[in-house]
Amino acid sequence: MDVSNILASHAAKFQTTNVEKDIAIEVDPGYLTTADFNSIDEESYKWNLEEHLQSLARDGTQALINALFSLPTASSPEGPIAQLPPPTTELPRAKPLPKPKPPTKWELFAAAKGIQKKKKEKKEWDEERQEWVDRWGKDGKNKQVEEQWLTEVPHNANIDHDPRKTAREERKARVAKNEKQRLQNLARAAETTPQESRKRDIERTLVQARTSTASMGRFDKQLEGEKKPRGIKRKFNPTETSADDERKASLALLTRMESDDKKMRKESPREGNIVNVRKAVRHASKGEGAIALARKGEDGKKRKGRR
Amino acid sequence: MLRTVKPKNARSKRALEARAPKEVEDPRTAIFVKGTHTGELLNNVMKELMALKRPHAVSFSKKNAIHPFDENSASLASVEFWGTKNDASMFLFGHSTKKRPNGLTFIRLYDGKVLDMVEVGVEKWVSMADFKGPKSTPGNKPLMHFASDLFDTHPRFMQLKSMLMAFFNAEVIDSICLPGIEHVISVSLAPTPASLNNASLTSLQQDSKPDELPTVHIRTYMVKMLASGTRIPRVELTPMGPFLDVSLRRHQPPDPEMLKQAMKRPKLKKQDVEKGLGKKRKNVEVDEMGDLRGRIHVGTQDLSKLQTRKMKGLKPGSDEIGDDEDGPERKRRKA
Repeated sequence: MDVSNILASHAAKFQTTNVEKDIAIEVDPGYLTTADFNSIDEESYKWNLEEHLQSLARDGTQALINALFSLPTASSPEGPIAQLPPPTTELPRAKPLPKPKPPTKWELFAAAKGIQKKKKEKKEWDEERQEWVDRWGKDGKNKQVEEQWLTEVPHNANIDHDPRKTAREERKARVAKNEKQRLQNLARAAETTPQESRKRDIERTLVQARTSTASMGRFDKQLEGEKKPRGIKRKFNPTETSADDERKASLALLTRMESDDKKMRKESPREGNIVNVRKAVRHASKGEGAIALARKGEDGKKRKGRR
Repeated sequence: MLRTVKPKNARSKRALEARAPKEVEDPRTAIFVKGTHTGELLNNVMKELMALKRPHAVSFSKKNAIHPFDENSASLASVEFWGTKNDASMFLFGHSTKKRPNGLTFIRLYDGKVLDMVEVGVEKWVSMADFKGPKSTPGNKPLMHFASDLFDTHPRFMQLKSMLMAFFNAEVIDSICLPGIEHVISVSLAPTPASLNNASLTSLQQDSKPDELPTVHIRTYMVKMLASGTRIPRVELTPMGPFLDVSLRRHQPPDPEMLKQAMKRPKLKKQDVEKGLGKKRKNVEVDEMGDLRGRIHVGTQDLSKLQTRKMKGLKPGSDEIGDDEDGPERKRRKA
C-alpha cells in the first residue's frame, strides 16, 4: 500500500503552521507581540509593497499564534484560555511603584519579636445562645456584661458598685486607647526628616515674629524678597452680639488680665522687704545655694556634739 | 498643579484609589489633541487610531495651540496638566504646518511628567472604510508585529517600537481567550538604507538625518485562524485598515534618570510564592513543568548499623565464640 501521498498531504498541512526565518522571530506572549529582526528584502518590497507587508505580518502573526497555542490553557465556554507568562519586553511604567504602607508600632514590635499575625474571625461562638455572634458591633459579644440581666457582684464591692457601668467604661476606654494609638501611628507615619521639620519650625517662628510688633506687622519694613505669609485669614467678630455674649467675653478678658499664669514680667518685690533673700543666701553660701548652707550648719553641730 | 486632596466620602476615596499607583498597571489612557491646524487627513487618522485605542482614549474636541518640541513654550506644562487631570499617560497630538505637514506626535508621560516624545509625519493613509469585511470589536486586545533589523539596533526605531507598544498593548494580562484574537497591528520598515546598514557605529548615532531613516508602514489586519490538522491553526490575514505610511521626524529621548525610575519593576510575587512565600527556602525549586523539586542532603551513612541479610550462622548465641561486641552480654543474659 502506498501511503506516501497521504503522508505528503499531511506534511503539507503540517508545514503550513511552521515559520522559517534566518533569525528566529522573537515572541513576547506576555505583551502579545512579535519582533522579526530579519532585514527587509528589497526585491519583494519594491515588487509589491502590500503583498510583501502582508506576508511579513502573516509570518510574524503565525509565530505568535504558535507560541500562544502552545501555552498551558484552561477551558471555558468561549474556548481555551491561554495562561500568559509575564512579559519579557521592558516598557517604562506610567506611574511610580506604590509605596509600602508604613508599619505601625505594633507591627514593628511583632516583627522584632517574631510574632505571627493571627486572623481573628469576626464571629464568636456563644455557648449559651448556641450560635455565632458578632465579636463587636450591634449585639456584639464585647457588650455582653453590659446587657445581660443579671451580673455577679464581688464580695468586697462598694455599695455603689455598678457592674454594667464599669464594664461599659472599660470598653469605652479600650476604644479610646485604640483610637489614640491609631492617631499616633498616623503621626509617626507622617513624620518627616529632621531638616524638613526644622524648616517648618523656622517658618512658623518667622510668621509669629512678623506679627509680634506693636503694629502687628503692619508698619514694618519689608525686606527684599520677603513673601506674604500664606494661609492667614483675618477674622472679624460680628459687630452686633447679644448683651449676654458681650458680658461673658468682657468678663473672660478681665479674669485673664487678673490671672498670673500668662504674665511675662513678674511683679517686683514689695517695698517693705528690703533684703533680697536669694542674693543673701547666695552670698552666704559662696554661690553653693541654700541646701549646701543648711548641710554645712548641720555638720558643724554634729561635730560639736561628738567633741 | 492639582492639589492633593484627602477624600471626604467613600466615592471620592474609591476614585482616588483607582488613580493611585499600582503594582500591575492599568492600560495607558491616551488623549487625542489637535493643534491649531490639522486638516482632514489628520482628523481622519486620529479618529481611526482612536477607534483602535478605545475605550482607553479621550478626545479633545477643541484646538489647542501647543508646540511640544518648542522648549520655551509652556506646552509641556499643559500636556502634563491634562495628563494628571484625566489620569492619562499617553498623548497623540496632531498638528499640520507648512514646514511639517500632517505631523503626529506621540507623547508618553511618567508620573505626570513628560518622559519622551516621537514625531512622525503621515505620508500615505488608507481609511478603515476603504476595506470591506469585518472589523475588530472596540476594546479587543490587538496582537503586534514589528519587522526590521532596525528595531533591534537603531535607537530611534527602538524608541518608536517601545512607544507604539505602550500606546496599543502595554497592559499586563495573565490570560487570553484564544478564539477571541481578532486583529494584528503590524509595523514594518522600508529596506534599511546602506548608510544605516554597513556599520553598526553609524547606526548608533542618534542624529542621523530624518531623510535617511526608512519609512514606517503601519498596517492593521484581521486574523483568520484556519484548521491545519494540528492543534495550532494556520493564520491568514485580511486587511482591515487603517493603513498608515509615516516617516520619523523630531523626537525627544527620555531623560536617563527618569527612565531609570520608570523602569523599576516590582518584586515578582508569583515566583516568590513558588519559592516559598517570600521566605528563603533552600534546595527547593520549581522546574519548567511546574513541579516542585527538592534536593535532600543525607549525612554520611553509619554502616555499622546497616541491616544486612540475616543468616542463621551469624545469629548471636548459635556460636559460643561471638564475633560482635554485644555477643558476650547476650550470652550472660541467657545464662
